[in-house]
Amino acid sequence: MTKVIAGLLLRASVVLMGTAIITFALLWNAPGDPAFAIAQARYNSFMVSDIANQIRSEAGLDGGFWMAFQSWLGPLLVGDFGNSLVTGRAVWPDMRSAVSYTIPLAVLGLVFGVALSVPLAMLATKRPGGWLDRGAVAIASLGAAIPAYWLGLLLILLFAVHLGWLPAMGARTSAHIVLPTLTLGLGVAASLTRILRSSILEARNQPFLPALRRRGVALHNLERNHVAPHAAIPVVTVFGLELAFLLEGAVIVEVIFARPGLGSFLVSAIEARDFPKVQAVVILTAALFVTVNLLIDVIYQTLDPRIGEHDA
Amino acid sequence: MLSVNRISVRRAQEMTLQDISLTLAPCNTLAVVGESGAGKSTLISTILGLVPCASGQVTWQDAPVRQCRPALVMQEPRSAFNPRLSLYHSVSEPLNAVGKEMDQHRLDRLCKRLEIPRDLLWRRPTEVSIGQAQRVGILRALIGEPPLVLFDEPLSALDAVTQKHTARLIADLQSSEGFAALIVTHDLGYAAAFADDIAVLRAGRIEEVTPAQNFVERPQSDYGHQLREAAFTLGALEHVG
Amino acid sequence: MTITALGLSATRSGRTILHPTDVDIKPGERVGLVGASGSGKSTLGHELIDTLRAKGQNVAHVPQSPDEALDPLRSMAFHWKEAVQALGLFPNAARQQALFSALRIEGGNLKKRPWEWSRGMQQRFVIAMALIETPDFLVMDEPTSALDPVVAADTMDLLDRTLAGRSTALLLITHDLGLAARRVNRLLIMDAGRVVEDAPTDQFLAAPQTQAAQALCAHRNWLELPC
Repeated sequence: MTKVIAGLLLRASVVLMGTAIITFALLWNAPGDPAFAIAQARYNSFMVSDIANQIRSEAGLDGGFWMAFQSWLGPLLVGDFGNSLVTGRAVWPDMRSAVSYTIPLAVLGLVFGVALSVPLAMLATKRPGGWLDRGAVAIASLGAAIPAYWLGLLLILLFAVHLGWLPAMGARTSAHIVLPTLTLGLGVAASLTRILRSSILEARNQPFLPALRRRGVALHNLERNHVAPHAAIPVVTVFGLELAFLLEGAVIVEVIFARPGLGSFLVSAIEARDFPKVQAVVILTAALFVTVNLLIDVIYQTLDPRIGEHDA
Repeated sequence: MLSVNRISVRRAQEMTLQDISLTLAPCNTLAVVGESGAGKSTLISTILGLVPCASGQVTWQDAPVRQCRPALVMQEPRSAFNPRLSLYHSVSEPLNAVGKEMDQHRLDRLCKRLEIPRDLLWRRPTEVSIGQAQRVGILRALIGEPPLVLFDEPLSALDAVTQKHTARLIADLQSSEGFAALIVTHDLGYAAAFADDIAVLRAGRIEEVTPAQNFVERPQSDYGHQLREAAFTLGALEHVG
Repeated sequence: MTITALGLSATRSGRTILHPTDVDIKPGERVGLVGASGSGKSTLGHELIDTLRAKGQNVAHVPQSPDEALDPLRSMAFHWKEAVQALGLFPNAARQQALFSALRIEGGNLKKRPWEWSRGMQQRFVIAMALIETPDFLVMDEPTSALDPVVAADTMDLLDRTLAGRSTALLLITHDLGLAARRVNRLLIMDAGRVVEDAPTDQFLAAPQTQAAQALCAHRNWLELPC
């Protein structure tokens, strides 16, 4: 077991390092001169070469790729995210404040999605093939096909513009989080419902269930102790993927609803070629991803150690 | 003549088979009996030439065994075929693999001997009974005229009456086609009734190889004894008189 | 108490796989239900158990293979506790130990999941679970087909010894007449969803009446050897 976990940890570290290198390289090779972009963002003025050159040597952009990469990686390994090339301030405090807007949104979106999909899936599977079941699948498929930005705009139109019940922009009050949560949550619910439904149906088909019934085990105990755990396993996998959706959706949703979260933070940093900020977001996201998936792999090992076993 | 010469096979960090030697002459039947986990499947894979030996070699007429293109009849007939293809298609696969055409006369003859109606071959594996599917599996094994045929528990998925019937069909075909048969089975009754010799495999080693008649009367190994007793208890062999 | 069930039948996708059948078994009787695959014998076994349980009778069923009896995600201890609770009983360590040693699984680690035990031990555990409440009637469906012969023979002997002297009636469902004939005093032969013969074992073996029965009889073992 420890060997397996050690293997997973090693894999996680390789992924993180690879992500760091690739993103740095992508930014480095993005069109345009980073020094000019930084000057523009910093001084908001017409470009002058000396300023650009000054920035270039300041930011360590003249030493080549590996130099710049190293001078970033070093401090990172001790927890220093560096300073913004635009404002000169440390990256971490600004990023932390942005994260404090995004995390509640992501969590609420996930909770809302789960709260919606579990009862829906259970209702749908009560009578497989019935109208409720087919309806649920149809709605779920539709929901999965709708892009977050379209749904978000639609919800704004309906609830903010026409009905005037909820605010559309900003993050001032707690009411401001409702529409973004709805947007994210509905997307989560769409994919979770479909997965849950089919895994419940499959779990109900397991060969040992009739024998348990004949042994006198009550139906509700059967569902709780033997169907639900099996049905939950595929859902655990999907959670890892849902995280991807949530983070990507959060970026889009924050831009639409003008929330000052990680999404906006990232978008403005990219526009300004602010390497340290972009790298910080990427590494944070990658670390989050890798940790969640690592946890999921460990959970699998405890639930059913046979998963991922090699052939004898 | 099949010659398994002191082979040792490693699978997943353990020596699954150790120092195994067997011989099998054409037209003869060797039954290999043993408990689950003794290494029977590995033995089959090795004799088919699919798994390399850590030491020793498996030859047919002094050439590496793969050259004679041995055939295999598997335990579970339904999972032995591609469920999306017709049985005819599956039966032709061994011929396609070596670029030969289907000999329709041979096919007809074998179908008659195996009591398979021709139109059955156009069905899918799930549309026929288990007994029929297993007979088609035998057909597929024999279509390429292999000199050596391996059987991996060929009867265990069938019911009692079908077992006896199918065993007889196999034996009849063996006399007319002349192949050597190596049958892995845990049914001592079947082995005693149809094999020339019985080999006992236990924990990766051969414990004895005895002519079938002698084995039933007086097995030499411990496990052979246990098997014999079990066969009586389960009614596969019966004391009479 | 005689086990009686009348008019058992079953259909699947519109086809009748079990025609209305009456079953009548005396206390302590050992009955074999023999037929080719597809004859409906497993179905009869299921219908019988379900009907008797619905009437509140003390009956138990042992499926063909441990895969059909145990949840791979749950420990053996969980299965045992669940079975005891389902019968409305309280845990009784003495009874558990007695059954375990009778069926030779007392050394097994109950914290493990089913697939960590050998198949023979799993099957014996399932039999032990069936015997918790000393049922009046036990149905065993193809008890030997999922096991190695030495293990299967062992299990059958253990079962015989455990049931000896009890008034538990036994229904042994199998496609193997040779297996049944050695252990039961009455044979029911099934063919195409009907019970076509019902006779004491010796009488049956001497003179099987129907074609299906004759086929079974003629093929009941591989070899007969002079003693």
